[in-house]
Amino acid sequence: MGDLNQKNIGNLDSPKLPYDYLTREYGTVPLDKNRPPFQWVSEVAYKNIHRIVARGYDTTELVEEGYGLVDLLFVDFQARIPTEEEEQMLNYIMILSLEDGLSLPAVLARTVAKSKTHLTQACGASILAFGHAYGGYAAFGNRMAQYLERAKAEHKPLSGAAEELVRAHHRDEALGVSDLMLKDPAAKRMIARAEKLGVAGENVAFMKEVVEAAKRLSTSEVDLDMLGATASVMMDLGFTPEAMWTIIAITRSFGAGAHFIEEVEREGFTRLGETLTPPEDYDGPADRSVPPIEERDKHAQPAQAKSLEEWKENFEKRKKLPASGFAIVEEIEDPRNPKKAH
Amino acid sequence: MSEQTKPKTAKRDPLFRRKTAIGYKTEEKTVMRGYNLSELAEAGYSFCDAMFVLFQGRIPTEPEEKMLKYEMGEFMEHSMSPSAASAISVIAGRPNLPAAVAAAVMTFGGAHGPGAAHGYMMNKYLDRALAEGKTVEEIAKELVDDYMDNNQPVMGMGQPQHRDGDPRAEPTHVKQEELNIDGIYLRLQRSIEKYFHARRKKEGRSYVPVNCVGAGNTALCDIGFAPNAAWCIGSVVRGYSCAAHAVYTLKKGRAWAASRNEPMVQMLDLSMIKYVGPEDREVPKQGERQEYAKKQKESGEYKKWVI
Repeated sequence: MGDLNQKNIGNLDSPKLPYDYLTREYGTVPLDKNRPPFQWVSEVAYKNIHRIVARGYDTTELVEEGYGLVDLLFVDFQARIPTEEEEQMLNYIMILSLEDGLSLPAVLARTVAKSKTHLTQACGASILAFGHAYGGYAAFGNRMAQYLERAKAEHKPLSGAAEELVRAHHRDEALGVSDLMLKDPAAKRMIARAEKLGVAGENVAFMKEVVEAAKRLSTSEVDLDMLGATASVMMDLGFTPEAMWTIIAITRSFGAGAHFIEEVEREGFTRLGETLTPPEDYDGPADRSVPPIEERDKHAQPAQAKSLEEWKENFEKRKKLPASGFAIVEEIEDPRNPKKAH
Repeated sequence: MSEQTKPKTAKRDPLFRRKTAIGYKTEEKTVMRGYNLSELAEAGYSFCDAMFVLFQGRIPTEPEEKMLKYEMGEFMEHSMSPSAASAISVIAGRPNLPAAVAAAVMTFGGAHGPGAAHGYMMNKYLDRALAEGKTVEEIAKELVDDYMDNNQPVMGMGQPQHRDGDPRAEPTHVKQEELNIDGIYLRLQRSIEKYFHARRKKEGRSYVPVNCVGAGNTALCDIGFAPNAAWCIGSVVRGYSCAAHAVYTLKKGRAWAASRNEPMVQMLDLSMIKYVGPEDREVPKQGERQEYAKKQKESGEYKKWVI
C-alpha cells in the first residue's frame, strides 16, 4: 500500500547505518521446512484425550492407588515414587511452610486483594515474595552442594568446609543460620524428625557443621533457622535447589490465599487515588515551583559525561537521590548457554 | 571473629497491621487457627489435614482428608495447559523461577479451572431451591435451562482437550461416593449432568462430559471448602507441576526459545508468526499527518481492527 520503499524517513537512509534499512523486505518468515515443526518437548508429562501421564505414571491411576500430592511432587521433580518415610517428611515440611503470619507473601496477597482482583492474582503475587532474602532456597542449596562437592574432591572434613562456607557467606540472608529461631524449636525439631525417619543424609550432616561453625565464629547468639532446616532436609530428600525453591513458595501460596479471602472479607477494597501519603513521611527535595517551559534550558541539567572522572562524579551524586537506582548493584547473569549440566 | 561477621539482626516488627483469624507468629512459635504448626506436624497430621485447618479451622475426618489428598494429587499435573505454557514462556526470558510459577498460577481465570465460579453457581442455585421450595433435582434442571437458554456454557461441563471425558472427572465422583462423603453438592452436580445430557441429546447435540472442575470442585464443596478456598486449592496446586515444567525448561531448554541452531523449530521461531492484520503500508510524513489521520478516522476502516 503506497510506496513501501520510500526514502527520507528520519535517519533510516543515513550512510552511518551498516545496512540499507529502506529496502528491507516486508512480510512474515515462511514456515521452516528444513527442521521438524515446533512441538512441546517435555521429560515431565504428557496427556492425550484419555490420559494424563507424569514421568510415565498415569496420574489418575496414581491417585486411585492412594498416592497423593506429596508423592506426585517426587514423581514430577524426581521421576520416582518416594518411600513412606520420605513422603512423611515432605508432608511435615509442607505443613510448616503453609503459614507464616503476616509476613511478605501474606502482605503481598492482601495488597493485591485490596485492588479487587481474582484470588489467583494474589496467590501468584505471594509467590513473587520468594526472592533471595526471604526464600533463598536456590542460593542456599547451590552453595551447600558446591562446598560439599569441594570437600569430597579435596578430602576435607565437613567441619572445615563448613567453616569456609560461613567465613565466605556469613552476611548472606540464606546462610541457614541466624538469630531468628533462638526461642522457637521448630527448625531443630524438623532435623530431629528427619533423623528419626532415617531420611537425613549428608546435607543435614553438613548443615549441622555449618551451624556449629557459625556459632563459633559469630559474636552473638545464632542457631539453625527455618531455611537451613527446610532446605537441608529437602536436599536429602533429593530435591534440587530450584525444585525446593518453587515447592516452598507454592506451598505458602495456599496460606496467602486464605489471607486474600480474609482481607476481602474484613477490610474491603481500595480505589485509585484513595490512599494518601503524608508529607511527614517524605524526605525528598523540598516543594519547589515548576519552571516555565520556555526557560527549560536555563534549568535543565544534561546527564551526559564526557570523561571518566565526570561520569564517576555524576554517578556518586545520583546515588544520593533515593529511588534513582544508582545505589544498587546487582549481578544479573546471562544464562543463554544451552543445556547446562545439572 | 570480628563484629563484622555477626549475622544481621532481623527487623521483626510487623510489616502490616491487621486483625487476623488465620494465625500469628512469635519468637517461640507459629500458630495457625490455634494450632502450633510444629506440633501439628509432629503429631503426624498430613499437609492435607493442615489445609482443612487453614481454610476451615478444623481437623478433617479421615475420608475427608483422603478426598483432598486424591484431589490435590489429580489436579497437580495437567501437562500442556495454559498454566504450564505460561510457566515455560516466562522462563524463556530467564527471570527468577518464582516469576514463572506466579504467572502459571495467575492464568487461572474464567476459562482455565474456574473453580470459584462453579462453586458460586452451585451455592446460588441451592439458595434458590431453598427459597422457592424446590428439590435439588428441580433446581438442577432450572440451572441447566437457564444457562442453555441463554447460550451460556454450563460450568463444569466439557474440556477442550479431553473431548470424550476428562480422565480425572468421573473417577472423582466415584471416589467421593466410595468415601461416603457425597453431600448435597454431588447430588446437585449429578442432577446437572443428568439434565444437561438429556437436553443435549434431545437437541441432537453431541455428548459433552463432566470436567475436572465439575467433579473436583463438587467434592471440595462437599468437604467444606468455600468457592474461593476451593479455587485456591485447585489453582495453586497446579503451580507445583508448572514449576517442574519451568525447571525442566530452565535446565534443559534453550533460553529465548527462538534459536535457529536447535534441531527442531522453537516455540518463538520467527516462522511461527502468522500475521493477519492490515497489509504493509507506508508511514505518512509528519507534514501530511493531520490530513492523513482525519481521512483514516473518517473512513472508519480501522474499526475492524480495534481490539
